[in-house]
Amino acid sequence: MILIQCDNLSKQYPNKLALDNVSLILQPGAPIALVGPNGAGKTTLFSLLCGYIQPTHGSIRILGHAPGSQALQGVLSALPQDAALDPNFTIASQLQFFAQLQGFNKTDAKQEVIRVLELVELSDSAQAKPKSLSHGMSKRVSIAQALIGAPEIVLLDEPTAGLDPANAKKIRQIVKNLAGETTFIISSHNLDELEKLCDHVIYLEKGQLQQSVSIKASQATDFITLTMQTCDMDKLHQQLLSLINVIEVKRSGDEQYVIEYHKQSGFELESQLLAVFNEQQWQYKAILKGRTLEETLFS
Amino acid sequence: MPVTTPPSGISHIWLLAQYELTKRFTNKSGMVALIAFMLVWGILLLYPIKSASEFIMQPNFKAFTEALFGPGSLQHLFEWPVAELAVFWLAALYLFPMFSIFIASDQFSSDKQRGSLRFLTLRVSRSSLFFGRFLGQMLIQFALITFTLLATIAMVMTRDISLLLPSLTTSLLVMINLVIVLLPYTAAMAVLSLYANSARQASIFAVILWAIVSIIIAIINFQFPQLNGLSMILPGSQISSMINTQGLDSLAFSPIPLMQTVVILALGNVLMKRSAL
Repeated sequence: MILIQCDNLSKQYPNKLALDNVSLILQPGAPIALVGPNGAGKTTLFSLLCGYIQPTHGSIRILGHAPGSQALQGVLSALPQDAALDPNFTIASQLQFFAQLQGFNKTDAKQEVIRVLELVELSDSAQAKPKSLSHGMSKRVSIAQALIGAPEIVLLDEPTAGLDPANAKKIRQIVKNLAGETTFIISSHNLDELEKLCDHVIYLEKGQLQQSVSIKASQATDFITLTMQTCDMDKLHQQLLSLINVIEVKRSGDEQYVIEYHKQSGFELESQLLAVFNEQQWQYKAILKGRTLEETLFS
Repeated sequence: MPVTTPPSGISHIWLLAQYELTKRFTNKSGMVALIAFMLVWGILLLYPIKSASEFIMQPNFKAFTEALFGPGSLQHLFEWPVAELAVFWLAALYLFPMFSIFIASDQFSSDKQRGSLRFLTLRVSRSSLFFGRFLGQMLIQFALITFTLLATIAMVMTRDISLLLPSLTTSLLVMINLVIVLLPYTAAMAVLSLYANSARQASIFAVILWAIVSIIIAIINFQFPQLNGLSMILPGSQISSMINTQGLDSLAFSPIPLMQTVVILALGNVLMKRSAL
């Protein structure tokens, strides 16, 4: 089953081509990351998927349906960027109304509101009005509204932007916990965060799809990211190249090397590395299995 | 979690309309508008409407209206079974449309500015949203018309309790007529509030639109007198002719606002579907 299919999708604003001929296919499952610099077209793509705007060219099918169609009501949900609840009414009353629109009766809608507010740890603020909440709390309430009725697809546009680390961690935990029943598509600038959550990454730049890759390692080769504390980096480079099964060694920072090697079942390479460090009396900071998302996308 | 089936478009429209009604009677800005409405109607009920039975039958008043509106132009006003309702009719025909421009001015503008419509369109179709909000505003105005009519009937009862039955039957017809008169105003405000950034801006748009269209129609009518039916495109164009009617005779004018409403709502629905949220 295809979750989302975009064919030759373009969106032209009066003074900007926000999306340029984007074609992609997304499958349901683990969270999907949407990455790109500011103005890359991430929010435009989200707005098109939600049916807030119409494409200039191309087509979108979500579970076989056009965005905004009745079949997607309650199936696709979103945390839209810069959308706020009505400041005059309590959070609970507004979320309850959303639940009723999704088909819950009044009693079940109240229960559903309690459930989603508990998920974002905001049960105590149910009777508060939106204006009395902090930025982080407002964001969590908006995420709670996206979770009403356990939709199949949830689009989260910058869910942790502007949140303190503790709240950002809570949001990540919610996504992890619900990832089994819901496919999340998350746009963010925080690559470390996406790396922890997502398997599939879509990289947009200047409205064009640059990459659509899996973070999972390929079948034949693997990577180790090695961060050193004190050592002769040039000498280390030579030493690394001489190790068994190493294919390529690339310096990715002042103190960092990314080693590509033939996949092994044991820890031969790690053992070799530790032996070299011992022999040369070098200190390492971190040995990371795999590559960072930043390295995957930009190397 | 209970299994849910998505409601039909009609259910969505009804849910949205009910929510609009609740919003109006619980929200602070809605209450301010209602208080203003009640004050105006309180003054009207206490002075002109209450004393209607006394002055409407005076020959001076008849002479005054004939001098103002022309001989025979308001003759039917003096034939109403309940004099208070005759004055109510005169005031309501002009005041309710004016209130409509303000009361129904925020059907979409604030929500669109805040992005709240984005939460709703994930759950309901744009057409349901458009018609639901429109219906909600009509219910609010229906409630206001009913309250003012009940207050007028109560006042009539203090004068002559035998007028209860004619008051009720006349009020029913007045109510139906007023609701029909308000339909195109409310529909027009729904369309204008789609493009305005605030309720106030929507009201200003309405005043400008009505003024400009009236001027254009007047110019066209002056140049081409055979096109005098053109004025029928403007909501409220039939009101001046309705003043001198009563009961079922007033309903003869209803095709004009009903047609206007159908056209404006159809246009609004298309614009709603096309607009970026």
